[in-house]
Amino acid sequence: MKRKWTWPPKLPKWKPRQRVNFRIGMLFLLPWTIGFLAFTLYPMVASFVYSFSIYHSKQPLEWVGLQNYADLLKDSLFWQSLSNTLYMVAIGVPLTLLASFFCAVLLNLKVRGQSIYRVIYFLPSIVPTVASTILWLWILNPQTGILNTLLGYIGIQGPNWMSNPVWSKPGLILLGMWGMGGTIVIYLSGLQDVPIHLLEAAELDGANWWQRLWHVTVPMVSPITLFNLITGVIWMFQYFAQAYVFRGSHSLGYPLNSTLFYSVYLYQNAFLWLKMGYASAMAWVLFIIILICTLLLLKVSERFTYYAG
Amino acid sequence: MKHKNLWLFVSLLLIASMLLASCGGGKPKTSVLRVWIQWGDNPQQIQELFDKYTAETGIKVEVTAPLEEDKILPALTGSEPPDVLVLSGGDLVKSYYKEGLVEELSGAIQTGNIDLNDFFPAPLDQCQMGDKILCLPWGTDMYALFWNKDMFEAAGLDPNTPPATMEELAEFADKLTVRGADGKLEQLGFLPDQAWSHSDLYVRMFGGFWYSEDGTQLTANSQPVIDALTWQQQFYTKYGADEVLALSSGWADAYMSADYPFYTGKLAMYVDGEWMTGPNFISAFKPEASYGVAPFPPPADHPERANTAVVQGTVAVIPAGAVDKDASAKLLAWMMSPAIVAEEFCFNANLPTSKKAAEDPCFTSNPKFKVFVDLMASPNAKYIITTPISLELNDALGLVEEQVLHTGADPKLLLDTLQAEFEPKLQEALK
Repeated sequence: MKRKWTWPPKLPKWKPRQRVNFRIGMLFLLPWTIGFLAFTLYPMVASFVYSFSIYHSKQPLEWVGLQNYADLLKDSLFWQSLSNTLYMVAIGVPLTLLASFFCAVLLNLKVRGQSIYRVIYFLPSIVPTVASTILWLWILNPQTGILNTLLGYIGIQGPNWMSNPVWSKPGLILLGMWGMGGTIVIYLSGLQDVPIHLLEAAELDGANWWQRLWHVTVPMVSPITLFNLITGVIWMFQYFAQAYVFRGSHSLGYPLNSTLFYSVYLYQNAFLWLKMGYASAMAWVLFIIILICTLLLLKVSERFTYYAG
Repeated sequence: MKHKNLWLFVSLLLIASMLLASCGGGKPKTSVLRVWIQWGDNPQQIQELFDKYTAETGIKVEVTAPLEEDKILPALTGSEPPDVLVLSGGDLVKSYYKEGLVEELSGAIQTGNIDLNDFFPAPLDQCQMGDKILCLPWGTDMYALFWNKDMFEAAGLDPNTPPATMEELAEFADKLTVRGADGKLEQLGFLPDQAWSHSDLYVRMFGGFWYSEDGTQLTANSQPVIDALTWQQQFYTKYGADEVLALSSGWADAYMSADYPFYTGKLAMYVDGEWMTGPNFISAFKPEASYGVAPFPPPADHPERANTAVVQGTVAVIPAGAVDKDASAKLLAWMMSPAIVAEEFCFNANLPTSKKAAEDPCFTSNPKFKVFVDLMASPNAKYIITTPISLELNDALGLVEEQVLHTGADPKLLLDTLQAEFEPKLQEALK
């Protein structure tokens, strides 16, 4: 039997009690909804509109169609900021994942003082970004910093972490790895879920530690890896605060624009050069890049991720 | 029924509170004026200064200072801009005016009966666009050469004689640059871009600027700009740019501390501003420092360029959205009065922009500070030319400077590229 559509649609009749519940429910939802509409949806829609215009705060928008997007393609700083960001995504994220996985494996070993080690590795991640970045400015100081001093003891002349464009991004990656406690904790929880019977079975079959790790643990935590990978990639595409602080009192992007990341350049356009329309276009391009990357990762990961059950 | 009323009541309450929050109470009806100041190391002192206005007029003034640079735009575009906004520099005022964010001040100057002849011309110039006045300078900065007398003595130089020419400065720098027994750089004679760039000063010394004097043309690849960059480059290339960078890494961040290289005997000469001679810097961090201050020397073949200096510093604007323009104008006039200028800038050891205020003994009694006061009256004192593309251009120029100084790049090629990129942008912006 065909159902007849009417307008307005006829909803099932609610009992008074249900209606009251619905209203109360909506009331509880209201604060979030208002916040979402006013501070997320509206700015997103507005920035989409602005991205096709030259924005004047006190005068009407000047429509330029796709000009902002076309200009982006010709802007050498845009490409530089994108390549700086991709460097961090391609090198920083996998390195951090690998390191946090191994830290988690070590922290999962049943040794004396296990919880103390866990606390020690987690602590840096609760230090506020600005504070930890300033701390690392001291650690990485080529003359007086502890890192180059330690490298000096083993006969290595440490680089100019802060003023050499080749070393500034590795410096930032080091800084990021120091604060990877959050990722470690997520991995740790995943490691606890690796079934003991599988590990024991493998051991009985003569698998050594490395083989058990590679053939049992790694596949079992692959959903965790995927989660960490995707959140890490998204976070890295928006990399801002560390780079903003790391330049010290130099201009944004110092040295030689090697730390001019996508979000930094976006900020510079929007809030320092007053090119709000152009910055909005940048924001949407970033959104699309992140969307594509995430979908790609999800697609590719299907072959590598094992969901038990 | 009971529930229905409750629902109605709570939602009304919510909506009402939101409306209140979003409107912030609407236009202020009270007699409170708000002054936002971008710099301001000592907000309490500034508030106390403006409390005097309250004592005189009964109008309360609320000071907000300091502000991050990305708060300025929201301050100007928001529905409730401050009544007077004090910016760290005049770079963006013309852009703001073009965007309709700040008032043209001739009306306010009339209302407040502000005497334009009392301003030193160099700082006032940065506020003028044609016959329009877009801002008024409120205290300003100039730069000169600082030298460490102890280090001069150790190097066998006369501690009381600074270099007389830019060439001599390079010779002195050579003598003052010291390597340790292991061959590592330990001490620098001169660092041209210590803490921040001073290319504006050096370019002026070489007889030009990166804009034509009227600001309508870009001259970024003109000979003075090339010369200024080449001259600075020697202080890196001669000693190995990487070594100089390694030694000076972190120096800029030690600016407000006793570890500043100029105090610790690591840097013998550099360029800095007048505030250093006041109570809050050298006297606070290294009271026993033995140092001298002199106008930066000119090139040997252009002695007539002696006492060349660039002026840049704080300017006050009235936001276009200010509610009561008359009240803003009166407050602005009060801020510009010689007595207030003298009090504020005596305290912070910045240069007064009022000629009458500059006669105050507090500015003239410190001979080192007096060097800057005299510089401001010099006919060679020039303001920094600004255009609507200043900020973007400055960033691009900063990058060229970094490439030339820190990597030994050829300035001519880079500046040609920059010129080709930015000249059309300038013409577009000036339309």
